Order: sequence, then structure tokens, then C-alpha cells
Amino acid sequence: MPSAFDASNPPFDRLTQQEIGELRAALDIGYLRPGEAVLLPGQKAEHLHVIIKGLVEVRDADGTLNAVLGPKDSFDSRALVHGAAGEDFIAAEETLCYLIPRALVLGLISRNPAFAAFFYSEVSAKLDAFARASRTEGMESVLRARVGEASRGPALVIEGSASIATAAERMQEASINAAYVRDAGRIGVVTGMNLAKAVLLRQLPRETPVREVCHFDVIAVDAEDFIFEALLLMTRHDKRRVAVRAGGEFTGFLEDIHILGLVAGNSQLIPGRIDRARSVADLAGPAQDIQRQVERLHRQGVKVEQIAEITSDLNRRLFVRLFDLLAPPGIREHGCLLIMGSEGRGEQTVRTDQDNGLLLDGPVPEAELEAFRRDFSGALAGFGFPSCPGHVMVSNPLWSQPLEGLLRQLRLWVMERTPEAALNLAIFFDAVGVTGRTGLLAEARQALAQMMRGERALIARFASLVESFETPALGVLSTLMERVGVGSDAIDIKKAGIFPIVHGMRAMAMDRGIMETSTAGRIEALVEAGNFTAPFGRELLSALRVFMEYRLRAQLEAVRRGTLEHEALVTPAGLSAADRDILRDALRIVRQFRELLRNRYALAAFG
Amino acid sequence: MTRGLLWRLFYRASLGDHAYKFLFEPGPEDEAVALDCETTGLDPRKDDIVAVAAVRIKGNRILTSERFEAFVRPEDSQPGAESIKVHRIRQRDVADALPMRKVLPELLRFIGGRPLVGYYIDFDVRMLDKYAMDLIEVKLPNPQIEVSALYYERKYGDAPPGTVFDLRFDSVLRDLGIPPLAAHDALNDAVMAAMAWLALRDMKARGARIPRERPGRAAPPPTGG
Repeated sequence: MPSAFDASNPPFDRLTQQEIGELRAALDIGYLRPGEAVLLPGQKAEHLHVIIKGLVEVRDADGTLNAVLGPKDSFDSRALVHGAAGEDFIAAEETLCYLIPRALVLGLISRNPAFAAFFYSEVSAKLDAFARASRTEGMESVLRARVGEASRGPALVIEGSASIATAAERMQEASINAAYVRDAGRIGVVTGMNLAKAVLLRQLPRETPVREVCHFDVIAVDAEDFIFEALLLMTRHDKRRVAVRAGGEFTGFLEDIHILGLVAGNSQLIPGRIDRARSVADLAGPAQDIQRQVERLHRQGVKVEQIAEITSDLNRRLFVRLFDLLAPPGIREHGCLLIMGSEGRGEQTVRTDQDNGLLLDGPVPEAELEAFRRDFSGALAGFGFPSCPGHVMVSNPLWSQPLEGLLRQLRLWVMERTPEAALNLAIFFDAVGVTGRTGLLAEARQALAQMMRGERALIARFASLVESFETPALGVLSTLMERVGVGSDAIDIKKAGIFPIVHGMRAMAMDRGIMETSTAGRIEALVEAGNFTAPFGRELLSALRVFMEYRLRAQLEAVRRGTLEHEALVTPAGLSAADRDILRDALRIVRQFRELLRNRYALAAFG
Repeated sequence: MTRGLLWRLFYRASLGDHAYKFLFEPGPEDEAVALDCETTGLDPRKDDIVAVAAVRIKGNRILTSERFEAFVRPEDSQPGAESIKVHRIRQRDVADALPMRKVLPELLRFIGGRPLVGYYIDFDVRMLDKYAMDLIEVKLPNPQIEVSALYYERKYGDAPPGTVFDLRFDSVLRDLGIPPLAAHDALNDAVMAAMAWLALRDMKARGARIPRERPGRAAPPPTGG
């Protein structure tokens, strides 16, 4: 029987063959009566339990059911390593567990760092350690990509007789650094550097034909070639760029930076494409690339908070460019484009909605404004930004009006005391001005902060939104549902984990007049201001990142299957035991935070 | 029962080697030993034990970390090809094994006076008795705990006449939700029997019963009770 212990079940898959042997030799098996308490809070754990069969409930000191553990789940790593258990573990039915002696686990932890990661106290560190193993892609996949996937076109062809001044202008227009030169049946290449050297160093006149400064020893690869073949050529000839041919025609160039783009998504290429866009239609490509790079970055093991940061940055550039293209001079001069909600906090990865608005310093011609509202929101919808269900968009006159009007509106929302009004205030409190007269937004946010700061009753009403959704107990529903044989226990990560943390921090920031918009920034400022301890702040940020990661995984999965309609759900039964353990830990932290909010703002009064 | 008691007294009195008196002392409180033998056949008079495994149970804990496991080398007969297929114990394993006269003393010391738990434990004990009579002129006096009997009682004890019984080990495990392990491995079988016993003993203490399939729905089992 000990030989039947499943060594492929994480975290035990991190053990060496010999360590598995040791572990199997030391195992006992325990039987738990229904209702029997395994670990009580404050009690030191002598064993790590791994469930063979049965169910174990995890309860708070006050009896609240936090999770139900099933076969392959283990408990309680925290009690084992970090001292006493914080929760009760009670068998819900006849349960059999492997019992791994504490001393053995501690020994394995000290010898095997990969195994030890499972017992980290910080939940995001644990997640990182476990995510890493599944991501071996990176350079490998890049080298096996085709040249065509990375190279950029179209090819610009200049006649050899054209002047270098003309060549420079045409390259500038096309925003490219290299062009083909056709001269008497030959094809050459001219680069921006060639032109600069001709004028600055050789002091050639601007009328010099381009054939004089280009070179005709073109190194070319086929669009179907592998990237590693192109890389070899580039190294051998000491070139940073090679010509790309497809079907006998030159179609563009492959530059070293394009290859770099494959490694880390093509994030660093997108800004250039956005800046080069001459029309709304030109932006559609880069807008899609922003979405695609999210998947690529995730696959290459980039952390979710970094993906969010990169994506937010790119989205902002996109918004700015779109604003520049669409806004008439009046609006550009008098307006400030806002992004709000998750976009404003810089925490959006897969697009779920567009939260944006326009703030004006005074009235602008109604017809112009009308056209801009329609075009701006329409263009974003065309790029694949779903409409905001709450209509927090430029197209909504409520969210595109002069400062004075918005201030009036904010005051109304503050007094209104409905969940809808609180939600509007919340979205606005996360606003960031991306272009134009950003001073307008700063004024509006300051005004809101003035209205709310220190107003216990108002803040409490605002904070009580966190009570809209319960933090679910992991696995509970599935247990009930499986007994009647239907359904699953999919968890809405956004409601269960992300919203309580984000909104709780927002409320506390508002209370303290903290103007940071990112949740990480708010946590840091709140710790600074002594609202909670630095370790708890770190735990909360960890938990938030864990939720963002699982949500992103679920969303990408849904995108792959083409089923991303509303919210992507996470099904605990579909996760590995280690993932369930991490999620359970993160949910526990959220529960602690809710408790803190409840006490601080007496939220029970709003029940 | 009385007859068993008399035999116990008889063997105690006629025990050849008094070093084994501990077999007649009651074992430590709340302990038992789950036991399983793999044999060359089903006839205790003709067949031999090729492997034996035992595991102590203390309270609600199966002490797999202190298990007893041994391959046995038959004294005269070689195991037939047939039984090798069933138990997957190859000739070489048997060759590496010890003769029963070396294995049994250690096994008996491991068991002590504890009750023996198993599935059709009577068969395993009769197999062991054959060797014990030879070596120390005694039959194993330990109380026996029959898993299939407990299962019968929990499931069919109140069954109406005409109910078809299914006491196969697989069915016991399935009803108790115990994941089946590779069968015909003495240690696995002993541990599975131990798990089944702990579950059944607790169900009995709580008065919990195993639900029976409604008649007509279950497929007729190939073996009856």
C-alpha cells in the first residue's frame, strides 16, 4: 500500500526517486471518523495528511466553513511548518489519509528547495515556484518560429536614380529604417544609417543618387525559413538585419529587434506600430497584437503583474493615439481622456470591458462632442474592447462632460447611497488621465477625496460593497452537488478574490486621502500610514496576484475555446492539489481582510 | 466459541517451545495485525506460502511504516508456473526468499498476542498453522477478525430472504470507497483489509449501515455468500 502513494501528485512530484522511497517507507495510514477533528487551532501538527478517500472540512474558529478537501489534497502545510494550525480540520465522512511524519517533511524541505516551495508562507511565491515547472518554453519556441512570423513589411522599393533626400523622405513616411533599391536589374539595400553617414561623414550633396550609397550584397532569407537559420546568417555576416523573400519577391526585413520581439511577446514593437498609425484602421492591427501578446507573455512565464503592467502601458498608448486621431482640435485642447476601473489601476490583462471617459474644462461644440463620443467608443468596440455593461464610456454623456458637471454628479453619487452610485464612485476613484489636460482629472479626484476623506459613515457605506459577494468556501458546493450528481463548483475569481481586495483597498485609500490608483501602490501607502502591518500588506498583494494569475489562466482558456462571454470561472476540481492549496490559502487571506474591514467600518450595520 | 477456547488452552499447555508463550498473552490494548499470505494454491494441506505480509493497527492508525513483509522459499516443492502468474512473484524473488523456519519466528514476534484481521483470514491462519505445528507444535491462538463477516453484517444483516449476497473483496472496497490497489500483493491486501476493517468497525460503533442496491438493478454477482 505505501507503494501506492501517488508520487506524481504535486508537490510530491518534486521529490527524487530516493526521497520518494524514504517517504513511502515512513508513511502510516490514518482513519478518521465522521466528525472527528484532526487538527485543532493552536495544536501542533505531527503529520502532513494526504487524503486517500473521504472529505475533510476546513473551518474557522467561529465555525465558518472555509473549504472541503478531498482525495489527493494535503493539510495542513502551515500548521506543520509554521507552528499551530489557524483552522479546524474535521472529517466530513469516513476518511483515510496518509500520515507523513513531521520530521520527515522538515528534512525533505531542507534538502529539496523545489519541494520546499510548497510550504512557503507567501502564497504568490508558492504560485511562482509551481508555475515555473510548466513553463519550459521560451527561447526554444522562438528559434523554431518561422521568419515570416517575426519580419515586418511591406517592402519599400526606391529607384537607384532617386536622390538620397527623396529616399530619406519616403523612408520617414513609411516609418521604416531600411528600403530596397532597384538599379539596372540589381536589387540593393539602403538603411537610415547609410543615408546619415553619406550626409554627415562623406558630406555628399542631398541630390546624390541613392545607388551611390546603398550596397548590393543583399543577404536574404526566405519567409518560410526558421528563425535560427536567419540568426546564423546575421551572426556570420555581422548584420543586424536581413532581407526577407517570399515567392521570389522581397517582402520586408527581419531585424534583430523583431527576433527579440518573439522572445518577450512583441510588446516592444507595438508602440512603434501604434505611433506609425495614420488612421483608425491602422490601429486595429496593434490593438489585436496587444491581446495576443498577453497570451504569449503568459506562456513564456512572465508574472501576471508584469503582464498587466505591459498591457496597461500599451493600451494607454493606443488610447492616446486614437484620441489624437479622432478628437477635433477643440476637444484635444480642452479635454482630458480618462481611463478608469481596472484599466486605470493598471490591472487589466485580457480585455473585459472599456472604462473610459472625457473630462472638459468647459463647453465644446455639441456636434463635435457627439461625433467624438460615437467614433471613439465605436473604434474601441471595433478593436475588440467589449462595451462596459455599466456604460462607463466616452459615449455616455455622463462620462464625457465638463469638470463642473462631473463634480456635481460626484456629489450626487456621494449622497445617493445606492450600490450603483458607490460603484460609479469606485470606478472614478481609479481614474488616470492619459492625455490632454490631465490637471482637470487631478482636480476632480481631489474634490472627491475631500468629500469622502475621514467621513466614516460615507466610507463605511462605500466599503460595504465588499459584502456584495461572499468569499466562497473551496470545494463546498461541489461536494453538495456531486452528492446529487450534478453541476460543478466553478468559482468566480473576480467576485471571490479580486473585488474584495481591490475594493477594500480603494475604500481605505479613500478614507486616508491616498491618491494612488494601483492596488499595489495603495497597499504600500496604507502600510506606510500604519493601517495594517507590512507582512499582512504583502500577503494581500500576494493573494491578489494569485487571483489575477488564476483568472488570467481561466480567461485564456476561455479565449482559446472561444467561450469568453462573461466571466471566466475557475473549477477547483480541474486544478492540481497544489493549485487548490494555493487558492485556498489566498481565499483565507481575503477572509481575514474582510474581517478587518468589517471591524473597522462596522459593516454588519449594512447587512 | 467454547470449542475455540478449549483448543487455546490445549495448545497453551502443549506448546513445544515456551519462548512463544507471548502468543497466548493478550496483545497491547487497542492493537491488531492485518495479515495476508500469497500461496501456491488454495489447499492448505498441499500448497505453500510464497509471501506473507502483516501490518500493525493501533487505534485508528495503520502503521505501514512498521510493516512485516517476507518472501518465503518452499522447503521442497517449487512453486508452479500457475501461481507465479497470479502473484507475479517470480522464481528469482522466491530464490532470494527465506525458508519458513526463518520467517515464522519473526512473524510471530511481530504479531504477538494481537488479534488477526483479514479477508477470509481463516485461510491465511490455516496456512500458517501448518508451519507453526511443524516448528513449535502449536496453532496460532490469536483471535480472528473477519472483514467479510463485518461487511455482511453492515450490508446484509437485515436483508430480506432471497437477497443475493456479494462478498467479493472488490465489492467490499467499492462500497467503502477504498481505492483498490494492485491485488495479489500481500502487503497491499493486508493494508486494504486493515482499511476496510477500520471503516467497518467505526460504522458498527455508530450503527451506520451500507446501503444495498435495489433488487433487480444490480448485476447478479458470480459468487454468493
